Parts: sequence; structure tokens; C-alpha cells
Amino acid sequence: METTITKIEVLGPGCPRCQETYRVVRHVVETAGLACQLVKVESYQRMAQLGVMATPAIAIDGAVVMTGHIPKAEEVRELLGIG
Amino acid sequence: MSEVVAPTVPGGGHVRPRALFLAGVTAVVVWLGLFLSLPRVATWSVHTVLQLPQGSPVHAAVEFFLFEAPKVLLLLVAVVFGVGVVRSFFTPERTRRTLAGSRESVGNVLAALLGVVTPFCSCSAVPLFIGFVTTGVPLGVTFSFLVSAPMVNEVALVLLFSLFGWKVAAVYMGTGLAIAMVSGWVIGRLKLERHVEAWVYDVEGGAGGADGSPLDWPGRVRFGLDAVRDIVGKVWPYVLAGIAVGAAIHGWVPTNFMASFMGKGAWWAVPLAVVIGIPMYSNAAGIIPIVEALLEKGAALGTVLAFMMAVIGLSLPETIILRKVLRPRLIATFIGVVGVGILIVGYLFNAIF
Repeated sequence: METTITKIEVLGPGCPRCQETYRVVRHVVETAGLACQLVKVESYQRMAQLGVMATPAIAIDGAVVMTGHIPKAEEVRELLGIG
Repeated sequence: MSEVVAPTVPGGGHVRPRALFLAGVTAVVVWLGLFLSLPRVATWSVHTVLQLPQGSPVHAAVEFFLFEAPKVLLLLVAVVFGVGVVRSFFTPERTRRTLAGSRESVGNVLAALLGVVTPFCSCSAVPLFIGFVTTGVPLGVTFSFLVSAPMVNEVALVLLFSLFGWKVAAVYMGTGLAIAMVSGWVIGRLKLERHVEAWVYDVEGGAGGADGSPLDWPGRVRFGLDAVRDIVGKVWPYVLAGIAVGAAIHGWVPTNFMASFMGKGAWWAVPLAVVIGIPMYSNAAGIIPIVEALLEKGAALGTVLAFMMAVIGLSLPETIILRKVLRPRLIATFIGVVGVGILIVGYLFNAIF
């Protein structure tokens, strides 16, 4: 599937909540067959750069779109514009 | 410990207000019915169903467990939901804006209070710390927030209220807030900014996520329900284990057994409780029922409060996480200042009660 998204970042220091968020996002990306880059970011510098204060967080192409909770698949699809 | 999701969930508007209201009323009625029937159900189970001999240790232990466990769980569900709804009005971004604009002493008070109601997860401590100090929130004020957020949490307050009564819960909340305010203020006075890792101040801080559109009421209710699923879903095994151990102490440990080494007479009990408490990592849910049982066997209230605050408020994992942004000297000062605050509270309550 083609979208304009090139990079999704899942931000979090590596706690279970962040890992769960990464799983949810990866599942959505894989089932939708998105051809974009998906990375799990554990660097505090990057979080600070993006201004993330509550993890887990999701950034799409460098813009923070969700912070502070584990999203459901439906919410991730909405964020990616493939709802 | 208290991990609550932040209110950036869009929408939730498909629930009709009337259906929501009816569901709310039903939930309250069911909750009250369950809560009010607890003592009878517990007594009935022990006497009629299990037929345990009256006055035996096993009778005392089982009755304690069957009454306390469901009571604490019911209270947890109600309070975590309520606090979740309250928290849906706050975000870290908003709290930061409030704090960045306030003067230091006022800021310490505000930060401690906001620490209670702002959604916070201890694994977010570092990003939150950076977000605060790089946008003009003073270091001491940031610490007031970081002390209060984990220490004064709804799970601890529910358990204290449920097992000790409202006075002890209020005392815990009041002294916890006071420790957060004062220790933050002290850290601010010590001018320790240079002991923050240098890279923190070099970061070009971003604007962060949008606060999200303000939630409507169905959205807030969902936020509260998420909090219940998240928090109660995680702490219930600890609650049950804690109450089970508490029940065993209740039934089998002789009265005044604890008095000799955790009683008022032992001056060294408070510092010892703090020193043992800091490296222990348990959430409030597991530790409080045990602590209640100890108190009943003659331990002093101040000692027990100090132990609890050290376990919950000064956890080793959190300080290890904070090491990423704080140099050892600042970490040591942080533990030292908060530890002294806890000591004072411990001695104070041993002297008063």
C-alpha cells in the first residue's frame, strides 16, 4: 500500500509499555503492507529533540502524533491515515 | 508506579451522553451493593461455608483476607477510575507551561500538587525531566514534581484509607507533599544545575506533540477506564499477595511481637526502615497490607510510614534511570535530602501518635 509516510518512530526507553506499543504499530504497518521505515527509538536525546515528555510516543516523519499511552491498532491506523 | 495514559486519544464521541449516564448509575449501584455486602459475605463464608473454629489463627487470617481483599480491590477500581478522569484534564505539557511561569517557592508547592494529578509513568521520568529543565522550569521545582509524582499516588492512598482509615491516608498525603515541596526547594537553593549531565542543556528541545483536542466526557470516561485496566490490571496480584501475607501475620504473629524492634522505643528503627526501604522496589499495593499487619503487632506508625515512603518514593530503579541525566553528586543529594525528609516524618509521627 502506498502512503506519503516515509518514517515512523516509536519512542520509549525500553519499558514493557513501549515494547507493546512497538508491537502494535509493527502489526498495523505489516498488515497494511506499508512501505515505510519503522524504528524503535530509545535515545533520550531524540525524545528531547522531538519534545516528547511522556512515553511511549509515536512520531510520523518527525512530528509527534501520540504520547503517553499504549495505542490500540485502530488508533494507530487512524494516525497513519489508513483508518 | 502509577502509570496512566495521557489524554491524546482523539474522539470517543460515538457514545451517547444518556447511555453513558445510565451506565454510570448502574455501575455505582452495583459497586455500592458489592461494597456494603462485604462484611456479611466474609463472616458468612468463614462461619457457615468453611466452618473455621472461632478464635483460631486460621479463622482470623481467612476472615481478614476475605474481607480486605475484595474491599481493597473495589476501592481501587473506584478511585483509580476517578483519578483517571481527573488526570484527563492534565497533561505533562500543560503542567510544564504552568510551572515554567511560576516563581521558585510557589513553583515547588505547585509542582508537588501537580505531581499528584499529572499522568506520569516512572519510565518517562527522564524525558519529562529534560522537557522541564530545558524549557525554564527550575531544577528544584522539577524535583518537587519528581518526588511527589510517585510517592503520593492513588494506589497508596486507597490502601492506606482502606486499611488504616482516612486520618493515616491524609497524614501520608500531607507529609508526602510537604517532603516533595521542601526537598525540591532545598535542592533549588543548593544550585546544583552544573551536576545535570551537560548534554541535557545542549538539546534543541522540540515543541512536542500537540496536546490533542480537548476530550469530551465519553473520552474522559474512557480515559478513566483505561487507567483502571492499566493500573488495577497490574497491581491486583500484589494486592492479593500483600493481603495474604498480612492475613498470615494477622492470624499467627503474636500481638506486640513487633514492638521490640519496630516499636517507638527503638530509636534506630526509623533510619533502619529508610535504609532498608530505599533499595526495595515494591509498589504500594504489595507493601501496605504487610505494613498494616505489622502495625497491628506493635510497630510504630512513624517507623512504618518512613519505611513505606522510602520504598515507594525513593526507588532504586528510578534513580538508576535518572542517572542518565544527573551526575552522581546530584543523585546523592536527591536521595539524601528526600531521605532526611522521610526520617523527620518518621520521628515526628512516632512522637505524636
